[in-house]
Amino acid sequence: MTIKNLTLKTLRYLLIGILVVMAGFPVYWMAATALSPNSELYGTGQRFLLQPQNLFGLVTELGQVPIGQWLFNTLLIASGGTVLSLTLGSLAGYALSRFKFHGRGVVGFLLFMTQVVPEALILVPLYAMFITFGLLNSLTGLVLANVGFSLPVACFVLKGAMDSVPYEIEESAIIDNCPRFSVLTMIILPLIAPSIAAAAVVSFFAGWNEFLFASTFLSDRANWPASVGLASFVGQYETPMSAVMGTALVFSIPAIVFFLLIQRKIVAGLTAGAVKG
Amino acid sequence: MPALTFNNVSKSFGDNTVIKAFNAEIHDGEFLVLLGPSGCGKSTLLRMIAGLSDITSGQLLFDKIVANDWEPKQRGVAFVFQSYALYPHMTVRENIAFPLIMDAFKKWYHLPIVNIVARHRLMRRKDISDRTLQMARQLELEPLLDRRPSGLSGGQRQRVALARALVRNPALYLLDEPLSNLDAKLRTQMRSEISALHHKVAKTFVYVTHDQVEAMTMANRIIIMDKGIVQQVDTPDEIYDNPANTFVAKFIGSPPMNLIPASIRPDGLKLAGQIAVAHDAAKPTRREATFGIRPEKLRLKAKGEGRLPARVSIIERLGAETVIGCSLVTDRKSDDLLIEQDLVFVRVSGNPRMQIGEACSVDYGAEDVLWFDSDSGERISLKSE
Repeated sequence: MTIKNLTLKTLRYLLIGILVVMAGFPVYWMAATALSPNSELYGTGQRFLLQPQNLFGLVTELGQVPIGQWLFNTLLIASGGTVLSLTLGSLAGYALSRFKFHGRGVVGFLLFMTQVVPEALILVPLYAMFITFGLLNSLTGLVLANVGFSLPVACFVLKGAMDSVPYEIEESAIIDNCPRFSVLTMIILPLIAPSIAAAAVVSFFAGWNEFLFASTFLSDRANWPASVGLASFVGQYETPMSAVMGTALVFSIPAIVFFLLIQRKIVAGLTAGAVKG
Repeated sequence: MPALTFNNVSKSFGDNTVIKAFNAEIHDGEFLVLLGPSGCGKSTLLRMIAGLSDITSGQLLFDKIVANDWEPKQRGVAFVFQSYALYPHMTVRENIAFPLIMDAFKKWYHLPIVNIVARHRLMRRKDISDRTLQMARQLELEPLLDRRPSGLSGGQRQRVALARALVRNPALYLLDEPLSNLDAKLRTQMRSEISALHHKVAKTFVYVTHDQVEAMTMANRIIIMDKGIVQQVDTPDEIYDNPANTFVAKFIGSPPMNLIPASIRPDGLKLAGQIAVAHDAAKPTRREATFGIRPEKLRLKAKGEGRLPARVSIIERLGAETVIGCSLVTDRKSDDLLIEQDLVFVRVSGNPRMQIGEACSVDYGAEDVLWFDSDSGERISLKSE
């Protein structure tokens, strides 16, 4: 190996190392904060290294809050919203991609408009609607509110992917006696799996990070998702930072696992069609 | 097997009419080729037979029953697409078996997730797996059964598309330029394979192509179309020997028929407005007509020996034969000027010693000449004149 190659390789690894540190340090700092006593955080200053001897204390502290219930609620909101967004999004995307009907452009425009309107703007009207429909303080209501925002994104992503599937493949299935609905589920959807994964990530994380609607519509502590639960730690006189960071750490693990499971599909989608098949 | 009848079938996209009052019959068991240049409406016609495109007006009859509004599955057709349209996420085995599986599906099998389980269970059903295997063997695809389409060559993909079309044993096969993506050698091979297949299964094949060689070698009958209008419906021999108009005469044959404007005189002809030719056979009674003759009917002679003075412009040596493109020249001894007229092609066997620019002459037998109307391009029948 020449000196030039060695230098380039070293620089490359150095750059990768810096990026890894930049991305990973907040997570490390979260863990370090979680394992630091509050007296240290608010007094002498946080130590840089992890203090595993404080783990038992942290677990005891977290055991006093229904963190499992909050996580379950978050999972329910995120996965419910994802399933609903993908189901409706694929049907709507297929219709927009394949059928010519009056008002198709208007539908597309209205879907786009939902992304322009800030969530906070529709909070009050939505609250009034939820009272009318008895959806206040229910996870179902929260899932529906979230789907209202993630569905248009899923619909656009899936419509774009379906546009790239040749008509002939679909027509071939129709000739082979495959009904239209099965054409979608058996032929089109498997072909756009990477885009479904991308739409799933968007919908899932929109639900996972949901805070505004949840803190407004859910008053019952048992219905809170982890985001609202986390915010509830913030007190008027004291905020137990180690508990906040510990909960946040637990909160982020399922999301990381979900992303790791699905990322392979997304990468496959990004590189698909890059080379002549 | 259905006999197909088209009664004044038309197809329009908005104001653009792509097929105008199409009338034809497709007989049971025949190999019919729809031939024409790109954009003439032949693929649209095939899609209308399959039920993939609506018919704007007229009637399409399957065994004398109007089938305009029938769903594709009611028609019992198989369709081979130009791009093959294989399912990329399925293996060759799954691709071939797909039509059989769909036929075996109960209504509730189409529910999401249930369809995945049902498909995998049906793939293992003996009759379906046996039939798939039999089809794969017939088209020499057995070693490729577990590959995906992306791992196959063009020819292999084409064979998978054919196998998928054949596996269901339909009454009617529709093939839309299935060989257009293959290289010349593979195309020749697949041409004979499809012809052999037609003889073997003895079903009706409707084949769309713009390649006259495919049409001439495979068809029992050819429908030649141009701009959505049928130009001629006949056997390959008849279409070659007796073209209905100048479009057919030019479209069929390589090189195409030589067409030269002619003035008819009592004592002979004046070709291309300059060359006076003695023509002792029957000729049209009108003053102007188009003189047509196939390149192989012309004879190339030394200068002054033939009736049409010419000069060699192009020589295409094809091995067993040579195609020579000649420019006609004026027949005045003093100034043999080139005439502004399409080259006259002569097909001769072997490899004659000719040079570009060499003076020569061309001669013909009067019985080989075909006459066309100068304005409409329609064939002139000397018997009816």
